[in-house]
Amino acid sequence: MTHIGLLDWAIIGVSLAATLGLGLAVKRHVGSLEDYLVASRGMGLYVGTASLVSTEIGIITYMYQAQFGFLAGFSAFVVGLLTLAVCVFVGTTGFVVSRLREMEIMTVPEYLEKRYSRRVRILAGLFMAFGGSLNLGIFPIIEARFLSVVLGIDARHVAWTMAALLLMALAYTALGGMVSLLLTNYLQYLILAAGTVVVTIACLGAVGWTGMSGAVRDHLQGRGTDPLADLGVGFIFWQLLLWVAFMTVWQSVAMRTFSARDPATVRKVFTLTSGLFLGRAVIPMMWGIAALAFFWGRAQPLPAAAEPPAIEMQRLEADLDRTFATDLSAGRLEALLPPVERLETLAAEHTGEHAKRAAASARAKREEIGLVAMPWMLSSLLPTGLLGLVIAGMLAASVSTYAGYFLGWSAVIAQDVVAPSLQRELSPKARLLLTRATVVALTLFIMAWSLLYEVPGPAYFYLQVTANLFMAPTLITIVAGLYWKRASPAGAHLAFLLGAAASLGYLVPGLRLSVATAGNLSWALAALGLLAGSLLFPRRGLASAPEAAA
Amino acid sequence: VSWETLWRAVFYAAFAAFVVISLLIAVFGLAEIRETFASWRTRRDGGGPRQG
Repeated sequence: MTHIGLLDWAIIGVSLAATLGLGLAVKRHVGSLEDYLVASRGMGLYVGTASLVSTEIGIITYMYQAQFGFLAGFSAFVVGLLTLAVCVFVGTTGFVVSRLREMEIMTVPEYLEKRYSRRVRILAGLFMAFGGSLNLGIFPIIEARFLSVVLGIDARHVAWTMAALLLMALAYTALGGMVSLLLTNYLQYLILAAGTVVVTIACLGAVGWTGMSGAVRDHLQGRGTDPLADLGVGFIFWQLLLWVAFMTVWQSVAMRTFSARDPATVRKVFTLTSGLFLGRAVIPMMWGIAALAFFWGRAQPLPAAAEPPAIEMQRLEADLDRTFATDLSAGRLEALLPPVERLETLAAEHTGEHAKRAAASARAKREEIGLVAMPWMLSSLLPTGLLGLVIAGMLAASVSTYAGYFLGWSAVIAQDVVAPSLQRELSPKARLLLTRATVVALTLFIMAWSLLYEVPGPAYFYLQVTANLFMAPTLITIVAGLYWKRASPAGAHLAFLLGAAASLGYLVPGLRLSVATAGNLSWALAALGLLAGSLLFPRRGLASAPEAAA
Repeated sequence: VSWETLWRAVFYAAFAAFVVISLLIAVFGLAEIRETFASWRTRRDGGGPRQG
């Protein structure tokens, strides 16, 4: 059980109060929609980097990255290298981001109206709002698991804790928009960075690199170091595409591009961010591997079974079904890992329906353990005071993420779906009011969704697929719009419809698409749709240069 | 170079980069915030043109 004390609560309370106070104090600087959405385009290098990174790191990030490390070992680190490479590429070349910043737009779909048509803007906005809301919708579910463990809050009360956090992010985001975000993100970044350093040093001190290497070698069934063999070339290629899209057209990232002082600042932000995005992946993945080593270090070997292997498999499955939920909620992960591993071994040695079912059951249980192993390790490792600092860091990370995402997706819903669909032009004041009202509505949706939805498979895959469903067609239509003059509205429509359909295939259980297949198919179909649609239905007035249209 | 050596180097490089860049943000970010808010205050009080 967690040992959170008064000092920890005091640190958490002061950090949250300071964030809320700062966020509300600067709301008077918001006068126009441009102030609200892109902070009058006054963002500098260091504040921009802090804002970008703190928005893209939340408890959810630490949770799914740690789970990925727990399940895939060091092989997961390859994603960190990909993000580093993509950030450096975008930072040095200004690929897409420089052009978007030069246009002085406020949302990504706004470009699509300038280049293609209003209908393309609305369609893109709809897919972004849909995918973005599905993506954001599981944040509270996963984060509640973390808070329940480290704060020792009863599961029944965690929903209220999450509601309080969401309302806090809502309060200053709805009133202060990007102006409040830039200031609060700076403070939040410093707290989350301090927490990250503390946890990393604690993990290295508790299990050391040798302990982690041993756990990966002995308990990941021969996997855990070679990403090409463990994750596959298809997965790695899809991740590369996805990260290019993430850095260029993901709305909350793009809003930092739009908020920067000039295109040169945008490029510097991405270059400086590259080192932090490497850490954003690799550091929490290492925590997951440390948790694997930590709990295996406490585990007792299973006694030799007297019964035949097929009977032992049945018994282990029945035993785990009976005790799993209780042991998991009490943090007795060392009692769960040996039987889960034994069940995996037995299932791999046998064929038939029962072995398949046992393998699926063991895999699901390993995923469940992987999700909560890191917070259970932290609550055991960290002393009072440091635990408070780490939780304050985690909460700061989460509140900044909610605030950034509320603003990003609300901007899309209000500016790219609702406003263009109305038959009349809205005044700037009405647009600002509409965006603020959308922030409130989105928050209420996220609260409701998080209570109803159950995440299929590893959180990392779900988050990536829901993002992929609109990011693949968005990046393809934007790149084609910027660099291919024949790209037409019909092609853009087809790209969005086909690209989104392929990603959604992963979420339909009957189709049994692997995450890499669904992801790569989405990119291939989006590109094919754009190409076929543009060639079959060329846009009118092709003679005009795309740059002029944009 | 074995995979394990590579991952060890990647991890320590990532951690070092995280610490160094965070320190840079802590030091230079504060000055940047002061400067940004000063320009917004000037603009709000009618002392300068709007940016962007």
